[in-house]
Amino acid sequence: MSADHKFLIEQIAQGDKQALAALYRALERPVYKFIVSRLNDPHEASDILHEVFMDVWRSAGRFEGRSKVQTWIMGIAYRKSIDAMRKRGRMDLTDETPDMADDGPDQETCLAAGQEAEHVRHCLETLKDDHRSAITLAFYQDMTYGEIAEVAGVPEGTIKTRIFHAKKLLMRCLSGRVERGVA
Amino acid sequence: MTYQDIHELLPFRANGTLDGADLAAVDAALAEDADLRAELAALTAIRATMRAEEVASPGDFGLARLMRDVDAETRVAAPVAANDNVVPLMRLRIWQVAAAVVLAVGIGFNLPQFGPSTAPMDSAEPAGFTLASGGADADFTVVFAPDATEAEMRALLLQAGLEIVSGPSALGIYGLGLIDAETSDAAFAALSASAIVEDVQ
Repeated sequence: MSADHKFLIEQIAQGDKQALAALYRALERPVYKFIVSRLNDPHEASDILHEVFMDVWRSAGRFEGRSKVQTWIMGIAYRKSIDAMRKRGRMDLTDETPDMADDGPDQETCLAAGQEAEHVRHCLETLKDDHRSAITLAFYQDMTYGEIAEVAGVPEGTIKTRIFHAKKLLMRCLSGRVERGVA
Repeated sequence: MTYQDIHELLPFRANGTLDGADLAAVDAALAEDADLRAELAALTAIRATMRAEEVASPGDFGLARLMRDVDAETRVAAPVAANDNVVPLMRLRIWQVAAAVVLAVGIGFNLPQFGPSTAPMDSAEPAGFTLASGGADADFTVVFAPDATEAEMRALLLQAGLEIVSGPSALGIYGLGLIDAETSDAAFAALSASAIVEDVQ
């Protein structure tokens, strides 16, 4: 699959629009899912997705093949999402995390209690953007921590820390919702 | 490896991307710690829930928009030689464009190709982009304004009860089909009145 994507990028670099269409069909859904998870606005996410693939069209010749094509494209989507959030004035770029106790008893039971998707969606939205991005890339896209670090342009240790805090806050949120009986 | 190191790697055990020493260390910790196993089970469930959630992506509509803008950008990047007698194609009425194409074919004249293509010149398929859904008969043909956004186009089509059945062509022409044939007049009126539609036939 990765080799197919690289072949398509090479073709796009030569101006092959059919290759661009094929790459779009292959990666549109995961890239869109990632963007919309960050922006929580399907219309704006559609526009960002469009800009991402326009960038792919324009800069395919500069792809050096040192990473997977999907990682490279996610990196473009990551940066464009940050730009969009900056324009909205709701960007928080710090890595500071609220000091919370790790009080996650029986989280697996919480998820078995029903309404899983709604709980998870709600709790993801409560996370800071950099935490949500890291957990989204890990769980939606099944990326390694090295790939996520490449997408976000930060050291691997930073990603591990973000994931650690994201996981803790997610567990806490899920436990709290189920304990309170939030439907 | 510390307790925190193990906890930091646990999500990557859940998504199956750990290997080598990291995987061995996490698995060894899991074998000894029931709480850690419970947390892994929770993470696995969260991951499964996230991945199962359906998201309605732009799909063919987004692809059509992408191809339209790529075509437009390619034309800008490779302008034809200046000629005061030439009217830009996008400013011509659609029937005029169609007539020009028919004339060009009739006299054995190839229209300029925008951008390189790997398709052979004698290929049975056209070199340009075609939608996967194919080019079904259209009730209307339209040209959207170059700055029209996907959200605006989608809103207009939903309001007018239309769907894209073909296009965009190399000239940015879309074929639209009526979802309900009885709304033809209303749909035409909506397209004609829209600020994002440059031409409708």
